Amino acid sequence: MPFRRSLIATSLALLAASPTYGQQSENTVRFAYGQSLENPNPYFTTLRLGVILGRNVWDTLVTRDLETGEFAPLLATEWQWIDETTLEMSLREGVSFHDGSSFEAEDVVATLSYVADPDNRIVSQQVASWIESVEQVDEYTVLIHTAGPAPSAMEFLSTQLAIFPAEYFTGPVGESDAPLPVGTGPFQYTEYTPGGDIVLSRFADYFATDAKGAASLDRVVIRTVPDVQTQVAGMLSGELDFLIGLPRDQADQLGTLPSVNVESGETMRIVFLQINTTETGPNAALRDLRVRQALNYAIDKEAISSNLVGEGSTPINAVCFIDQFGCTEEGITAYPYDPERARELLAEAGYADGLTIELAAYRDRNLSEAIINYLGEVGVTVTLNYLQPAALRDGMRAHTTELVQMAWGSYSIYDLSASTPVYYGGQPDDNNMDPDLIAILDQTAQTTDPEIRAGLFQQALARIADQAYAVPMFSLPIYYAGAEGLRYETYPDEILRFWNYGWE
Amino acid sequence: MLIYLSKRLGLSVLVALFASILAFSLLRLQGNAASALAGEGARPEDIALIIQTYGLDRPLVVQYLSWLGDVLQGDFGTSYFFRSPVADLILAKVGNTVILALASLSIALCLAIPLGVLAAVYSGTWIDRICVLISLMGQALPSFFLALCLIMVFAIKLRWLPASGDASWRHFVLPALTLGYYITPPFMRLVRAGMIDALGNDYVRTARAKGLPGYRVVTKHALRNALVPVVGLVAVQLGLLIGGSVVIESIFALDGLGYLAYQSIGYRDFPVLQAVVLLLAVVYVVLVLLADLVNAWIDPRLRVS
Amino acid sequence: MTDLSPPATPGRYSWSRIKEHPSLVIGGGMVLLIVLMAVFAPVIAPHDPLAQNITARTIPPVWYENGSWEHILGTDQLGRDYLSRLIYGARVSLFIGFAAVSIAGVIGTVLGLLGGYFGGRIDSFVTFVTTIRLSLPVILVALAVVAVFGGSITIVVIVLGLLKWDRFAVVIRATTAQIARLDYIRSAQAAGASTFYILTREVLPNLTPQLIVIATIEIASAILMEAALSFLGLGVQPPTPSWGLMISEAKAYMFFSFWLIAIPGLALATLVFAINMAGDGLRDLISPDRRG
Repeated sequence: MPFRRSLIATSLALLAASPTYGQQSENTVRFAYGQSLENPNPYFTTLRLGVILGRNVWDTLVTRDLETGEFAPLLATEWQWIDETTLEMSLREGVSFHDGSSFEAEDVVATLSYVADPDNRIVSQQVASWIESVEQVDEYTVLIHTAGPAPSAMEFLSTQLAIFPAEYFTGPVGESDAPLPVGTGPFQYTEYTPGGDIVLSRFADYFATDAKGAASLDRVVIRTVPDVQTQVAGMLSGELDFLIGLPRDQADQLGTLPSVNVESGETMRIVFLQINTTETGPNAALRDLRVRQALNYAIDKEAISSNLVGEGSTPINAVCFIDQFGCTEEGITAYPYDPERARELLAEAGYADGLTIELAAYRDRNLSEAIINYLGEVGVTVTLNYLQPAALRDGMRAHTTELVQMAWGSYSIYDLSASTPVYYGGQPDDNNMDPDLIAILDQTAQTTDPEIRAGLFQQALARIADQAYAVPMFSLPIYYAGAEGLRYETYPDEILRFWNYGWE
Repeated sequence: MLIYLSKRLGLSVLVALFASILAFSLLRLQGNAASALAGEGARPEDIALIIQTYGLDRPLVVQYLSWLGDVLQGDFGTSYFFRSPVADLILAKVGNTVILALASLSIALCLAIPLGVLAAVYSGTWIDRICVLISLMGQALPSFFLALCLIMVFAIKLRWLPASGDASWRHFVLPALTLGYYITPPFMRLVRAGMIDALGNDYVRTARAKGLPGYRVVTKHALRNALVPVVGLVAVQLGLLIGGSVVIESIFALDGLGYLAYQSIGYRDFPVLQAVVLLLAVVYVVLVLLADLVNAWIDPRLRVS
Repeated sequence: MTDLSPPATPGRYSWSRIKEHPSLVIGGGMVLLIVLMAVFAPVIAPHDPLAQNITARTIPPVWYENGSWEHILGTDQLGRDYLSRLIYGARVSLFIGFAAVSIAGVIGTVLGLLGGYFGGRIDSFVTFVTTIRLSLPVILVALAVVAVFGGSITIVVIVLGLLKWDRFAVVIRATTAQIARLDYIRSAQAAGASTFYILTREVLPNLTPQLIVIATIEIASAILMEAALSFLGLGVQPPTPSWGLMISEAKAYMFFSFWLIAIPGLALATLVFAINMAGDGLRDLISPDRRG
């Protein structure tokens, strides 16, 4: 049979060409991620992996010193607010991009102007919507003009706003002539295929500062491995060196092995159920306050948090992470676990005989199941619609979802502007479109006064709780597993700083 | 023969056409293509623009015909999710799936032919029963369960083979074993039945009477005849394998066509899904056509019908 | 495969004949046991299969050191009794298998009867439709439909029912074509019996043995497909206990608590094995000439 021969030929070719990635000896880390990255450009994906790549392959103008918590220089060496809406930044000289071109003011002007233009449709417009215009003063100085007071400007400039070469973008939605994305960061792309492996290699000419050093690893290989058990198998069989976001049970089990080093840490990520109350929403029952309150009373978040999620998880009553600026639990209505009360409320609302609700989710399936069971106890039949994140987001933005199980990480930004307005301030993900709430949250963007902002956020969070627009659940810890001998560090912002990683 | 050929060819084209219509309309039943295409954060005016540019407001028939026209020119459209040409995506992944399918098929044939012959030669004895039992077990074990068990044993306990990926031939061993074992039973049954028939035939009896040694009778005369129907089954199974590797590719994180299709279902990435379904239908039709032609060539009586 | 003897007499399939086919007796017996288990699930199951207790999670079965008789097969990742879920899971598998194959059987039989009896254009049409169906990748189409309409038992039954009729159509068509040429059909036609009467009263009863054999094979295959869909998270939705879903939920635990996937995996394999074995036995019983 002729195909047999071609099979053997193909196998031999594969054998010869196979790049058997080593670990210590190759100074490589092989890292598994559960979802396919739809776009190698961090502005055009909502995946955490995009944020991670954004930091490793690119630099922002400023960064946060992890020890002091203060802003520190990165691509910009100095900055000052000339007036309330003008930020002047002096840029670092002698920095080069991965393609060899040198970093100058025009790159900053081009990148920030590109992302600030809604026509280019970056995924999270709020990180750039505060920018009115960017102006080049000289080769190494720029002025950023803001649309109004921009309290989170420095926050966004230090996290999300990665700088690309001026000529990089040739059209909307990240269109470019470059074969691979180009940045200034400690790692550069050497391979990207849609849905396939991503290979980063050390950028030898990295400028390295105290706050962000040069890489010691030669390569980082990022493989798409959708199933948790396949990831764990890869760790156990020595094919993978590093995993993140393991479910608690698997992390606990892996932690018992000497060949694996498991770490856990609290993160900014919070779990909450988003409830669609819009007029066009498919489930009218959810527009009834009593039903929403019943959902809140029906779920024992304390039990789920302590038993299923485990250490590092804290139940929440306000839809925010407690260390974020503006987040508070004071004066916020709490709904303790009370299935009796839930049943009463449902009966009052006319659903004594039960009610069917669809729950859409994209991760943490075991949590979905626990939620379904709790709701089932009070007579709410839940149908689960488990989706890919992008599909779920489409549904949310089209207001066609009913309940959505969200796990929101605020893009690792320590300010409520990255969280509450996204879901309640009239932005695309808002499923309540409450005009009062939108008005309050709009004001938080009009002022830089911390006290006034905190007060407004408190009002907003209180209204969300009173109206039971959400079922706030708990913060999520994250579990990391590294192969024996791999040195890695974890941070609450869930950013993998591969430049700090190395083999012992 | 020429009439037969053109008739079969015409029918095949028609089947592929209808399969593509089904795939196209099925996936348009629901799901807002425009908002998926516009991407996240799209404003209503963006979506309106997309609807206009891609002609999504036209009747389905018109949309289908323009899609088909593009396909015939080799343009399968752009993936909603990856935003790259569908043809490029498929080309990048199809190799892995074809290797997996051929490897599984080889494993299945290597298992099925000896077992089938053995069962037929010793038909009715305990050897036959064991062979039938093996085939029954192959049919009963869910392939995904077998896959997990193989990972457990060969990747974790013994550490002989990798559990996931596609970097070398070693990565294909476990998935190919899983799929190969899964499709062994139909082959084995066919070989067994064919061999029992052939062994009862006059010419085999004659050969035996001539005093030819048993194994020569079996291999040279009976097996050759018993293998004829296997050709047809190879065609059908190869088509099924390429489409059926979805589960296995996802378990072994093998970046192939099945996994691409599975992902595109999750992402509502219709252009990719349509292209894969159409491609699989065409592959099936071509393979069946080839098998028919081979059989017609072997057995002229078939050409008449 | 084809049996062209005149209408069956009850005596042909009497117990004494069945007894001669051990695979039918053993396989059929096993299937019967599982069916009984499914029917009497509420009586047999020691616990509510949906009742979760997240403080008593992944307790191992009784034969492990820290197992207990309270949960004979242990508990799952949400602390639900595994034995009870397994027992109720049989209902899901069997129901989906029977229901989907009933739909498929009706579609396939009608198509096969029409094509085989009338021949000509109608037959070409039936062959054409069957080829189209065969050219579609079943798992992919099923996954896509379930993804669009949402997973539920009903959707899975409908999708599998609409996809799995091909074998019925092929076999029934061939057999009908042969029966249609037989004398007693000819005489019925000559006597002026209506086509509907001939098809339902004269042809169909003679197809029953084939129908039963195909149905068993297809039920086994439908059960496996439901499990595969549920395994991918696109079939039966939680908290309904389905064996495929149980394997899917347990797979993350397989390296340290292997029994969590082994138990539903073996249950599924046993059921499918038993059905196929019974099917083999039935085939031997119906067409003894095909026995080796």
